[in-house]
Amino acid sequence: MTDSSLTTITAKRAPEGTQSCWSCGTMRAVHFCKSCGKVQPPAPVDYFTFFGLPRKLNLDVTVLEKDFYELSRKLHPDLNAGAGSQEQEWSLQQSSLLNDAHRTLKDPIKRTQYLLQLEGVEVEEQSKTATEEARTTGQVKKQIVPPDLLEEVFELNMQLEELRMHKKMGEDDPALIEEIGRQKLELEEKQEALLRELEFRWKMWDGMIQREQNGQPVSGEERKQERDKMVDVLNRRNYIRNLVRDVGEVLEN
Amino acid sequence: MSYSDKVIDHYNNPRNVGSMDKSSADVGTGLVGAPECGDVMKLQIKVNRETNVIEEAKFKTFGCGSAIASSSLATEWVKGKTVDEALTIKNMDIVKELSLPPVKIHCSVLAEDAIRAAIGDWKKKQGAAKPVAATVVQ
Repeated sequence: MTDSSLTTITAKRAPEGTQSCWSCGTMRAVHFCKSCGKVQPPAPVDYFTFFGLPRKLNLDVTVLEKDFYELSRKLHPDLNAGAGSQEQEWSLQQSSLLNDAHRTLKDPIKRTQYLLQLEGVEVEEQSKTATEEARTTGQVKKQIVPPDLLEEVFELNMQLEELRMHKKMGEDDPALIEEIGRQKLELEEKQEALLRELEFRWKMWDGMIQREQNGQPVSGEERKQERDKMVDVLNRRNYIRNLVRDVGEVLEN
Repeated sequence: MSYSDKVIDHYNNPRNVGSMDKSSADVGTGLVGAPECGDVMKLQIKVNRETNVIEEAKFKTFGCGSAIASSSLATEWVKGKTVDEALTIKNMDIVKELSLPPVKIHCSVLAEDAIRAAIGDWKKKQGAAKPVAATVVQ
């Protein structure tokens, strides 16, 4: 259910004609009328637009929280209980949109994934197309993540499985535990490094959006390159995240 | 979401789990990953030099039930096929056989990638000089 709004909300801004309040006719915000305070019908906007934010990745979370609570108060169905049934319905829809938008934007990784989705990234679709291409051309499909990372992930998973098996049989294997503990530290360092790398990519992305806002044209090619670099960091991060989780589980039990 | 009976069967009794000597000239190894979920899949084939028939196939997958079932099925299917025949296996064949839901289609893609990667590795080992077996009887 929570995912559905991600797919149905498009990046389109509200059409010009719908920007005046249904009740008093003045210009309105996306959610409620600043003039008469009435809740408005939900406009098909993306989460950034919903909060009146540019499509940047560094955002001030304290401001986001403040806006969230302010909007919650204005849009909450309970507070609009006295309104007409149509307005109540909108209030419900707007509140749910608000919650989805807030949940997505406050988390840096979800925010990045969401932005990439808005920018047209479809990791799964792309992978499928690449496989189909390999099928028709007979060429070897290029793996999205570097082969040595795959190798490392595979090896560590083998060790984890071994350790799980030993534990199941009630055997102790201090050498293996020590080795995996050492790898865990390395993984955590890698995870940190990837986060820093991602933060650097955010900076690059935001700089590009800023230039665009300043009226300097940004080529589609540059936009795509910046986007794909972020996808690359996130892809590698997924593996490391899973490993950190699995290693933690095995060592704790 | 619930797994189909066939997925559960492969998950509980995976066929051909294991590994073969990676450095052997007759063995092709494919190691592939699906970054969106962090799954890794290794599939190995052992090919008869004379007939180009895949005589042995092994896999090891770290991932969800569908990924394990897809690779288990893939090893079953490639065994006994020639390399060229194995290359005709499509991910949608796996989807159909295992009744995978749309959210698990990427697992079948991964299995097809693994087959192709293993065959690619084997072909590389044979080098361009290797003559292709002229007659292959199915």
